Amino acid sequence: MMSYLIDGFALALRPDNLLYCFIGVFWGTIVGVLPGLGPLAGLTLLLPLTFHLEPASAIIMLAGIFYGAMYGGSTTSILLRMPGEAASVITCLDGHEMAKQGRAGPALVVVAIGSFVGGTVSVVGLMMFAPLLAKLMLQVGPAAEFALMVFALLVMSLIGTGHVLKTVTMILLGLVIGTIGLDPITGYPRYTFGLIELSDGISFVGMALGLFGVSEILLNLENIANVKPIRPTLKSLMPRWQDLRDAAPSIGRGSAIGFLFGFIPGISHVISTFVSYAVEKRISKHPEQFGHGAIAGVAGPETANNATTGSAMIPLLVLGIPAIPATAILLSALMIHGLQPGPELISKHPEIFWGLIASMYIGNFMLLILNLPLVGLFVNLLRVPYAYLAPTVLLFCIIGIYSVNTNASDILIMVGFGLLGYLLRKFKFDAAPLLLAVVLGERIEVSLRRALIISDGSYIGLLQGGASKIFVSAVVLLVVLQFVAVLLGYRKKMFSDV
Amino acid sequence: MKNFRLSLRSSLPVLAVAAGLLSGPTVGAAEKYPSRPIEIIVPTGAGGGTDLVFRQLADLVGPILGTNVVVSNRPGGGGVIGTIAITRAKPDGYILGGLWNAPLTMTPHLNPVPYTPQDYLPISMADTSPTVLCTKKDFPANNGKEFIDYLKKNPNKFTYGNDGVGGTIQLTMERIFLPLGVKARAVPFSGAGETLKNFLGGHIDIYGGSMTTILPYVKDGSAKCLLVTSPRSVSSMPDAANLTELGVPDRSTLLWHGLIAPKGLPADRAALLEKAFQQAARSPQFREYMESRGITVEGSSSADFRKLIDSEYAAMGEVMAQIGLGKK
Repeated sequence: MMSYLIDGFALALRPDNLLYCFIGVFWGTIVGVLPGLGPLAGLTLLLPLTFHLEPASAIIMLAGIFYGAMYGGSTTSILLRMPGEAASVITCLDGHEMAKQGRAGPALVVVAIGSFVGGTVSVVGLMMFAPLLAKLMLQVGPAAEFALMVFALLVMSLIGTGHVLKTVTMILLGLVIGTIGLDPITGYPRYTFGLIELSDGISFVGMALGLFGVSEILLNLENIANVKPIRPTLKSLMPRWQDLRDAAPSIGRGSAIGFLFGFIPGISHVISTFVSYAVEKRISKHPEQFGHGAIAGVAGPETANNATTGSAMIPLLVLGIPAIPATAILLSALMIHGLQPGPELISKHPEIFWGLIASMYIGNFMLLILNLPLVGLFVNLLRVPYAYLAPTVLLFCIIGIYSVNTNASDILIMVGFGLLGYLLRKFKFDAAPLLLAVVLGERIEVSLRRALIISDGSYIGLLQGGASKIFVSAVVLLVVLQFVAVLLGYRKKMFSDV
Repeated sequence: MKNFRLSLRSSLPVLAVAAGLLSGPTVGAAEKYPSRPIEIIVPTGAGGGTDLVFRQLADLVGPILGTNVVVSNRPGGGGVIGTIAITRAKPDGYILGGLWNAPLTMTPHLNPVPYTPQDYLPISMADTSPTVLCTKKDFPANNGKEFIDYLKKNPNKFTYGNDGVGGTIQLTMERIFLPLGVKARAVPFSGAGETLKNFLGGHIDIYGGSMTTILPYVKDGSAKCLLVTSPRSVSSMPDAANLTELGVPDRSTLLWHGLIAPKGLPADRAALLEKAFQQAARSPQFREYMESRGITVEGSSSADFRKLIDSEYAAMGEVMAQIGLGKK
């Protein structure tokens, strides 16, 4: 393995490949920072450029966009409460609170460090265990996926800051919104009111930008005279020693959570962030600080979403199966060059696999070096008077959301959810559980119904296969234990105290 | 203000397509066609297999027509949103559509769509490829006949993965299963990749989908493909029975990619486009790109493409009615 890795580094350190790697991570950072644009948009825009590159250079550059976007996504979440992409929604909660307290600098620095650690851990995992993990991933069928999603839903109820009833209301509302669109099994339209634009469901990016970003702008408009630009000083840019000590364990846990949840097909990068947030809140000595600028609530999730990048590459490189839309573009890029990813890719084209691994080490390091100085630049954005900043940001959101699907109705969705988000915050409801319930609801439904077709309608039949036995039993056990604990009076306040 | 302009420039690639749409037509009395760039609307996301086929074609057909041909993606609604945009576009030959089966011949039977096969003009079909049914190595059947017999003996026992209810693969397979009396449970996934993953993990018994995706696993011996949805055999899948061998050659559905234009396109422009796209599809570059993936290059005429769409449209309506799908 060492000799392969050395060959990989030799390839990745070639000047031209270093340049492609840098272009990739730089462009990734940009699309991550811009609200609405995510890694997918960044990849598709640069894909045609790779047609004339060597396959290894192409994949090095495109992969750089993918993990680079995970670095940039949090920037606007922290500064403007505007999630740059789906995986940075949860960072809005504490990241923006930190910015309001004049601590945007430390937040961004901790994110950069956490992202670097998470990204690097995931490359190590990819390098050491790829074939083994690929086998495990195959074990996760519809039934096991269903159990994992239910587990995530249970965890989600821990995120809210308000009354447990309000959190549950938001989750239920999210599940309902998730049913809009074509029925995933029968293909019939549900709650689309005959509008074809609604047949794919409500745009997640539109909802996220509306609920968080637009609602924040609306709230600030109420007392625009009092919104003072923040004037960061050089001293306030750097995290205090205490910040780093608080963040370090969260970064460690975030790495593990991210890598494990990378197994979930489709939405691993989103789920890992809020599982990490919930875990941090749960084990924190000061859970009351969450939602009011807890650094652990920024460090954990932002590490976790980077840690999913390595495991998201495993099904692509080992099995030839794209687990998420972004890796589907990477698959296309390889196939354009006549490479069919699959069981023989690593043995027949070791230069692709090991060159990519080496470039991911290098790229993550580049991102760290790139992002630390950018902190100073980004924080200075907050000096811009709000009267100029708010409309500019709104304009970017509109361009960003429109560019995802070139669909004008997504803009309306963003505005509509902005109004809803405003009302929710006025009445002290949390938007995060709603948003995540929409994502989870769709997957829960589709995986359960697939599993039931496979088991021919038998619920007992869901327990076939090792993975689903383990996951389903774990969820059942968790629920039963919770109820027993409540019944016996060990935990009177089931969810509300966390 | 300076900031704003700079940042706008960085998002220019995104806006380029929009700008192309906005730049108004300059129709003269005797305008030479084509005198400005032609746009192909592809109703799927960028970067997928379908998108790449049309990007290749656009690159090749541009020099033939003497103008730039650009692809713009309009995903959503399983291709319906983009198809609506195509059928409603001005029929001047500057907006075309790059389509595949489902939005034209299948979805209209399942859900109401505001277009019919008469609302567009087929220009040329670029390529076709059959789909396959494959099992794990240890499945108790070694050729197509045994496979069908075994499925018939065990109705509704086996599950096959496909690309979604009312999607291309399910209808293609049910069209074959119906006359043969085969019953299997269809498990809808979001695409061939997810189907493959569940097939390899043993969660479903049979893989149903494109040949390209499963090919590496046929090569390494872990999967065997026993049925190909074409009247002829495929060289890369020697064990797979074709539909002639199974006695149902008229039940074949092939995946295809083809160009359409909004109806009302002047005949001279249609003829010019037909010829240009035929030439592009038959070029060595396109042939090499497609055949390395087991796809057959067609470059068909407009009339043949029309015939295929009409017969497929009718056949799909029939299949849906028989398996109880379709508009309710």
